[in-house]
Amino acid sequence: MTDASVPVNGTPHEVLAGLGELTRKVRAAQRGTWFPLLLLGGLTTGGILVARLTHQVLTVPCVGDPAGADCTLVRQGSPLYWPIGLALAYLATAVFYVRRARNRGVGTAIRPYVLTGIALLAAVSATSLWATRNGMPQPGAPLDLWGLHLDPAAPATRLLQRLMGDALAVGLPLLVLARVERSRVLLLLAVLYLAIELVPLGTGWAGIPITSPWSALPRYAVPGALLLLGALGFALAERPRERTAS
Amino acid sequence: MTEPPEQVEQHPATGLDDVVHQRVRLGILTVAHQARRVEFGFLRTALGLTAGNLSQHLTVLEKAGLIAVEKGYEGRRARTWLTLTAAGDRALQDEVTQLKRLIQQIENARPESSAHGS
Repeated sequence: MTDASVPVNGTPHEVLAGLGELTRKVRAAQRGTWFPLLLLGGLTTGGILVARLTHQVLTVPCVGDPAGADCTLVRQGSPLYWPIGLALAYLATAVFYVRRARNRGVGTAIRPYVLTGIALLAAVSATSLWATRNGMPQPGAPLDLWGLHLDPAAPATRLLQRLMGDALAVGLPLLVLARVERSRVLLLLAVLYLAIELVPLGTGWAGIPITSPWSALPRYAVPGALLLLGALGFALAERPRERTAS
Repeated sequence: MTEPPEQVEQHPATGLDDVVHQRVRLGILTVAHQARRVEFGFLRTALGLTAGNLSQHLTVLEKAGLIAVEKGYEGRRARTWLTLTAAGDRALQDEVTQLKRLIQQIENARPESSAHGS
């Protein structure tokens, strides 16, 4: 292979361009973006099945209602699903990147992504534990979060809830990965993912009532599809490079 | 009374290090900088060199303290990995800075030379 990337007697411009080309070649060998996207996409769409299997509709006395009327409480989701799923996803990504880098003969800069993932995993686990011990807040009941007195029914609280949930656990590591891999396409995908997560695609959307076992479908299917399509796109984009490299 | 000598700004080309300012060695440092840790085979393919030629350049860089070479085995296969030292990282940054200064100088000189030509 004759691949003299830095010109022998080039002008300074040509020498710098040659160095830039070499840098791009190394980055291409280091990237494996499709793998974490596939895992995170699988984890997100798997949330549909978890929500379906854990779906419960309960009738409870309404809080703060002197007449003692009954309210419908919908419960779904497992407190173990995201912590265990994310732990396995980050572990698998770290192993994948290290093995891939070793096989290709280059180092990897995946550590910031994995460390962010572990920190978020701790945050998500703490939130799940808190929710399990304190129960789901009722509409109208005050919710104390780090000194903030929030109303669970208020739009601002719902936005914060979305931001502190899946959006933070998946979107933030994606931003870190985009920085690590210097990928503008991944940055765009991460921003798009966060935007979708912050749009109130909650229950009752797409004509699915809140009491339906499939009420969580749009909430997980839309971001999950985005991540899986992203994984497919990156996998296809990396294929020609692998063919030329071999 | 003699006037103090006028301080002349050095031409960027004088700041280029002979060890670093060489096509292959500059390529090795660039790849090692981006890859953090790079294997001999990857370097050989990326730079389009023979094993002997690459080894010679690696020896020069190692003697200058710009890279660290680590030899080992993966299974039965012998593999050589190299990493950039702090001095190597500084030398690469200096080289790139000098090249950028050279470009700046050439571009700044261009309008003058075209004005003389007209």
